[in-house]
Amino acid sequence: MTQRFSSERLSLHIGAELKGIDLAAALDADDVSAIREQLREHHVLFFRDQQVDAEALKTLARHFGSIDVHAFGRHLEGDPEVGLLDQTKPEKDGANRWHTDSTFMPQPPFGTILAAVTLPDIGGDTSWASNHAAYDRLSPQIQEMLCKLSATHDVSGPLLRAVAGGHSVGSIDEVRAQWPPISHPVVCRHPETGRPMLFVNSNFTTHINGIPEAESAALLKFLFEHIRTPELQVRFRWQEGSVVLWDNRCTQHYASADYQERRIMHRVTIAGSWAPN
Amino acid sequence: MTIEIQSLTAVIGAEVRGVDLATELSDINVRLLRGALLENLVLVFRDQDLTPESHIAVARAFGEIKHPPVATAHGGPPEINVLDQTEPRGEGADAWHADNTYTSAPPMGSLLRVLQLPGVGGDTAFASMYAAYEALSPVMRELCDELTAVHDVTRSIVKAIARGHSTANLAEIQAKFPPVEHPVVIVHPETGRRALFVNVNSTARIVGLREEESDMLLRFLFEHTKSPEFQVRVKWDERSLVFLDNRCTQHYAVADYHERRVLHRVAIEGKPPVGIDHASASS
Repeated sequence: MTQRFSSERLSLHIGAELKGIDLAAALDADDVSAIREQLREHHVLFFRDQQVDAEALKTLARHFGSIDVHAFGRHLEGDPEVGLLDQTKPEKDGANRWHTDSTFMPQPPFGTILAAVTLPDIGGDTSWASNHAAYDRLSPQIQEMLCKLSATHDVSGPLLRAVAGGHSVGSIDEVRAQWPPISHPVVCRHPETGRPMLFVNSNFTTHINGIPEAESAALLKFLFEHIRTPELQVRFRWQEGSVVLWDNRCTQHYASADYQERRIMHRVTIAGSWAPN
Repeated sequence: MTIEIQSLTAVIGAEVRGVDLATELSDINVRLLRGALLENLVLVFRDQDLTPESHIAVARAFGEIKHPPVATAHGGPPEINVLDQTEPRGEGADAWHADNTYTSAPPMGSLLRVLQLPGVGGDTAFASMYAAYEALSPVMRELCDELTAVHDVTRSIVKAIARGHSTANLAEIQAKFPPVEHPVVIVHPETGRRALFVNVNSTARIVGLREEESDMLLRFLFEHTKSPEFQVRVKWDERSLVFLDNRCTQHYAVADYHERRVLHRVAIEGKPPVGIDHASASS
């Protein structure tokens, strides 16, 4: 039976909380299409007070696509489809940098579902930023310039950090061989809405192609600062039962590294079928 | 005696020998030297015996004299701007700049003559803004080609007043020289070559960009100007005169001395800088 829910926007450009929906219950086609519509409009959807185990997360994810196994992240024992974020000292783990997930892939993930399992007493919020709003906020001259450029995305930096922090499975050499550096346009269009968006992030984008290093460094430094603008963002305080579903293509996120207690999250990644363009 | 012109780098600067500027400025020589200036951007004349009067006369052979927009405190001829420094660090000349770009028509060029030198140090470095422009990527050039920037006297005059190099009143100077807009890339009126035309002393912001974008771009361009590949560094002696084309160069007075250094500058009138004419530019 189709569920009825309400949607409350949390900021001008990004984020909405969906109320009155039970993610553990069966979702019918109308539910899924309504959630998709919300995702297109708000990019990040927040659900409170859910009771979803790993299986339910996977069932939810499959409504939106096939499940992607993360290139190098840890996962539940015996179930590579459910990523495990288990952190106590998060400062150097790399999630406290603005990033879109896995942009080193030719087809980066469509989206991600993250569910809180164990939370610190305080801290550990996650923020998301809209790549659309980030693009829209640039002046036309800068937009025009960026539209002519492409950038290289490389798994190496985050991979090495993950390995150093004990958050990785698989060998550095194998992961790098499987995912060699790849080029994506600096400005892409969302495959569903056609809206332009900025598509560089501080975790994976190493340089802008075809221009001198000093120009690339100046532009990327500026763009990585630009995404830190609070007007582009929404911030979420996790509670027991919180689940977030986001469109990975048009957002970046940042996990605040302000806790020293254990924080465990389950992550299911929805595969993408869009080559950034 | 034939005039010898010897390039000092691949992109900027030539040393000129074989001409006595005080006595041999025939029309032919003026034409020849003007051509050499356009080609080399900065001419360094050695073994000259000049006085304030002949210094002014040499400048006048190349154009109308432009009186200093902000007079320095000295008793000499009004055409001469006296640069008299002992503790030059932070006084403003030790930053890459073109002269007086806060005016609507900055000088076409300047002739610099040294009167007193420290025992060591006090060189002046010059940079080609053609080379700076040409070293940008095509995408960056296309961006800069379209932009204009605001040039403002405030930053440099505040420094000059603080250091006692000007007795002018800040508010009066600001009223006399309201901020002006120049293209970020200008077309040299004689060579037709494109030159980057922003400098850290006077360029306050780029028009039409957000503040963060303008800051990013100007910071990058100011850093870019510092590349040694665009530069020549001139070591002064008391018989040298330097003639610089202010439209396509910037300069930097190296502040590495603590003794007195005195220079005379005579500037030549220039026209308002002109940007790229897209209507007639074929690309």
